Amino acid sequence: MTGFWSRFRRRRIAMIGLIVVALVVAVAIAAPYLYPQSPWKMVQRPFLPPFANALVPLGTDTLGRNVASGLAHGAQVSLLIGIVSTLVALAVGVPIGAIAGYFGGIVDDVLMRFTEFFQTVPSFALAIVLVAIFQPSLTSVIAAIGVVGWPPVARLVRGEVLAQRRREYVEAAILAGQSNFTIITRQILPNVVSPIVVLASLMVATAILLESSLSFLGLGDPSVMSWGYMIGAARTVVRQAWWLSFFPGVAILITVLAINLVGEGLAEALDPRSSRDHH
Amino acid sequence: MKAKLLGTLATSLVLAASVAVPALAGPKEGGRANVVIQPEPPGIMTGIVQNAPAQMVGGNIFESLLRFDTELKPHPQLATSWEISPDGLTYTFKLHPGVKWHDGKPFTSADVVFSADKFLRETNPRTRASLAHVETITAPDDLTVVFKLKETFGPFIRMFEAGTLPMVPKHIYEGTDFKTNPANNTPIGTGPFKFAEWVKGSHIRLVKNPDYYEKGLPHLDEIYWHVIPDAAARSVAFETGKIDILPGGSVENFDVARLAKTKNACITDKGWEFFAPQAWLWFNHRQGVTADARFRKAVSYAIDRKFAHEALWNGMGKVSTGPFADSTAFRDESALVKYDYDPAKAKALLKEMGYKGEVIRFPYMPYGETWQRWAEAIKQNLEDVGIKVELIATDVAGWNKKMGDWDFDISTTYLYQYGDPALGVSRAYVSTNIAKGSPFNNVGGYANPEVDKLFAEGATAFPDSARQKAYSAVQKKLSEDAVYAWLIDLKFPTITHCNVKNLITTGIGVNDGFKEAWIE
Amino acid sequence: MQTLWFLSSRLVKGILVVLAIVVLDFFLIHFAPGDPAAVMAGESGATDEIFLQQLRVKFGLDQPLMTQLGLYLWGVVRLDLGYSYRQQMPVLDLVMDRLPATLILTGAAFVFSLVIGVAAGAWAAANKDRPLDRAITTISLIFYATPLFWMALMSVLVFSVWLDWLPGFGFEEVGNTDNVFERVLDVSRHLVLPAVTLGLFFTAVYVRMTRSSMIETARMDFVKTARAKGLTEGVILRRHVLRNAVLPVVTLAGLQAGQMVGGAVMTETVFAWPGIGRLMYEALLQRDYNLLLGVFLVSAAMVVVFNILTDWVYRLVDPRIEVAR
Repeated sequence: MTGFWSRFRRRRIAMIGLIVVALVVAVAIAAPYLYPQSPWKMVQRPFLPPFANALVPLGTDTLGRNVASGLAHGAQVSLLIGIVSTLVALAVGVPIGAIAGYFGGIVDDVLMRFTEFFQTVPSFALAIVLVAIFQPSLTSVIAAIGVVGWPPVARLVRGEVLAQRRREYVEAAILAGQSNFTIITRQILPNVVSPIVVLASLMVATAILLESSLSFLGLGDPSVMSWGYMIGAARTVVRQAWWLSFFPGVAILITVLAINLVGEGLAEALDPRSSRDHH
Repeated sequence: MKAKLLGTLATSLVLAASVAVPALAGPKEGGRANVVIQPEPPGIMTGIVQNAPAQMVGGNIFESLLRFDTELKPHPQLATSWEISPDGLTYTFKLHPGVKWHDGKPFTSADVVFSADKFLRETNPRTRASLAHVETITAPDDLTVVFKLKETFGPFIRMFEAGTLPMVPKHIYEGTDFKTNPANNTPIGTGPFKFAEWVKGSHIRLVKNPDYYEKGLPHLDEIYWHVIPDAAARSVAFETGKIDILPGGSVENFDVARLAKTKNACITDKGWEFFAPQAWLWFNHRQGVTADARFRKAVSYAIDRKFAHEALWNGMGKVSTGPFADSTAFRDESALVKYDYDPAKAKALLKEMGYKGEVIRFPYMPYGETWQRWAEAIKQNLEDVGIKVELIATDVAGWNKKMGDWDFDISTTYLYQYGDPALGVSRAYVSTNIAKGSPFNNVGGYANPEVDKLFAEGATAFPDSARQKAYSAVQKKLSEDAVYAWLIDLKFPTITHCNVKNLITTGIGVNDGFKEAWIE
Repeated sequence: MQTLWFLSSRLVKGILVVLAIVVLDFFLIHFAPGDPAAVMAGESGATDEIFLQQLRVKFGLDQPLMTQLGLYLWGVVRLDLGYSYRQQMPVLDLVMDRLPATLILTGAAFVFSLVIGVAAGAWAAANKDRPLDRAITTISLIFYATPLFWMALMSVLVFSVWLDWLPGFGFEEVGNTDNVFERVLDVSRHLVLPAVTLGLFFTAVYVRMTRSSMIETARMDFVKTARAKGLTEGVILRRHVLRNAVLPVVTLAGLQAGQMVGGAVMTETVFAWPGIGRLMYEALLQRDYNLLLGVFLVSAAMVVVFNILTDWVYRLVDPRIEVAR
């Protein structure tokens, strides 16, 4: 573990990513203290440009709501949806992949055809349909992102499990009479956790992008202030008020970029072979 | 910035108003008007398709017997004169002689009888309801039509508007299946413009009717209705001069203010008087806190209508004070109990009734950006006085279903009032119009025998003074009960280049406006 | 002959997948709340239940679900995708009307991202760990993290509103000319911003993929052999490294076709591009069942066809590889 951390720390760019992610998390946690009022509250006259009023440093939107407050509260939503929907995707993808890889044969065939089927459907289009049909809400958005996100997880886990399946320790466990369930969860999965962690961290970034896209199209939960919503609501006034879509966009860009950097840092730190290449 | 904006809007309004007075130089003949049509209508045979864009195009092809100015006073169109018997039961119309259909066949009283008695009774539910008051429709000679009523029906004369009772050619439709008649795609009317072509997804072209019976009209050679699906693209097309006319609702409200400031842009909010759209907040009277009048009053006090009027509607239209919209007949300001923005009063009422933070479900009307922003603002207004609100996002189909199934506590909506309370107001308040499954009736479920009786009286009383008495009483009762929270009497501004003259002259605006319009 | 067999077996599989997608979508959409008859009635201003019922009967919405599905599938087999009651046109006509615009857009974006992405990736790999490599890698990382719709909005703001270089909305000018050349030029000008925006994300993906696979390949034995034989770096790069590095890129191209369709929904919405992405979103909002299914079917079919094509290209590039599935 210390080896991992020292390898990670040596990658400057990944460290920068980590610091940025930590900052975003800090803002998300501090949002209710920074801006105790609801981000929906109309606090000033509409269309106040940024840097004109210290109380609303980033200006106000079409209804006179505080853009800075929206960004802070939006950080909560983006991180929440990013993390929870990734967990949903893992919860679906890991078991399917593990079962397919472990049992192989017809089970593998059926599960992988099923996975491929989901990969053939254009994923963003599927997410739109799911959210629209189940009506936009936090739950439906998270579920939809999870549903379109699991196939890559399943494929990765299947591959890894398949490779582990032939190892001696698995044979030994089978001979020792352990149940399949125990072998998968206790023996194999702990050994394939690294690539899953890497994939999951990258998926959080993708999920944040996906959520913002849905909100932009008006398919977000109408009660939660999110970055995508802010841009979508500012779309028709982009010519009058550039700042309304600019700042939330930058927030998404920086957050997603930082998470990606951390993910790549993880990948290289967890994979000693690739870390050698950097010397 | 805002003061300046409103100033610009005001001057533009003055400019537009002066357009209605014909300039001394006289109208210029010829030219083409480029207009936006949004969304592309499913058809433009207005006897069959009644949605707004269909009316906007079809109103220049099909005409009715009368035309209504912005004060809703009737003027001759296909009828040159009309007479109402002293008992209010017999309406006799004299038709304009020498009128021809676009295919050259003469227009006669037989067409009127066919249109009203056969065609529209079958195809238009709204017209059908009003025609229920009619006993017989007869044609004593080629240029005379007589409508005999079963009972007096106050708004009857207002039926003879182009969208409600368009004249359709008997020689083409008689004995056919009206809805599938191929003529629906190449409509034949009597109006100032003839149908020329329709390229789906691109444009509809109408050309001047050279044989129009009103001499010297129309002035324009042709009208192009352009289909441009994106709101922002519509604005750009107007700015680059590809489009001369943006009918109400074709650009987002936030863009209206910006466009009004561009060069050579004139804006008017006239031309909606006949429809008199009013926006309000439904309350579900069947259950929970919304069944309590004190709660409804609290909500009515809590909503900042002025803010929405300025921030979302550019100050167009008027803040509502009661159930009758500003231009609807028999509106009586003095009878109303008013609910001005007063959060303190709202809080007091909530305290008095013992509101305990029950969450109010608010599936707001999904009609685009303005309506979503408005719902957000209303939610915030209500939360400011301590009411908990859950916004529910839906699409049009989902929203219709929720309304039809009464699955809501509050919701925004707007409905046309068609100038007369018997045509467009009573439907949202009378208990006989409560029926599950339809999203367009009294979905709030307000039921009050006294109100039912007053609305029934108002519809059939004669003469107008008797109607006024009933309607004043009804306005008093409805506002006392705070039946719904009336928000804004809407106007959807028409934006044109200033060289488009004389376009909006009637109470239905662009719909039948091209007859006298010209381009400098 | 083997190729023919390969192609036909893939085709059968593809058709099965498409049919499965149609069935899934059919049930998903019918599960949705909302009565299409009410939407239609709302459009025509009708207010009574009799009228709603008339509409349901007219469009077969009163039939049992399985009957509706059966009718639909039978139609699909005959290439009849049903009738859009909302738009009063056959679905196939509507989709075919809009398909060219989407093909132009996604095609242009695809070519753009492939060419620029592979070139930049190769360039970066050739300059591994030098400033140029860092610059390319950083830029592609940024594009990789940028929301597509935001990029679209900002490009409209900068290139259309502020600089006024390119049109920001639509397919062509209203009131178009009859001159074919002018029209092509006009459409091309409108195409630039949406195609580049849609392509940028994938460009970033190609850059990263090409770069890493080239670096990987460069370490392999056959390259070392070539180097030992005294071939110049340029020849090695072109003849050996790029050729082998292209394989994962081809795979990627197949996978991304599907993503492209999703991205088109976003791009077409922002740029008012009259393609099937927009059509799909409109159909969804109006609960236009038949139309929505039609768009889904066509886009899924496109993805399947494209996947078959990339598999085939894969075989051409490297005949040793057996594409079993």
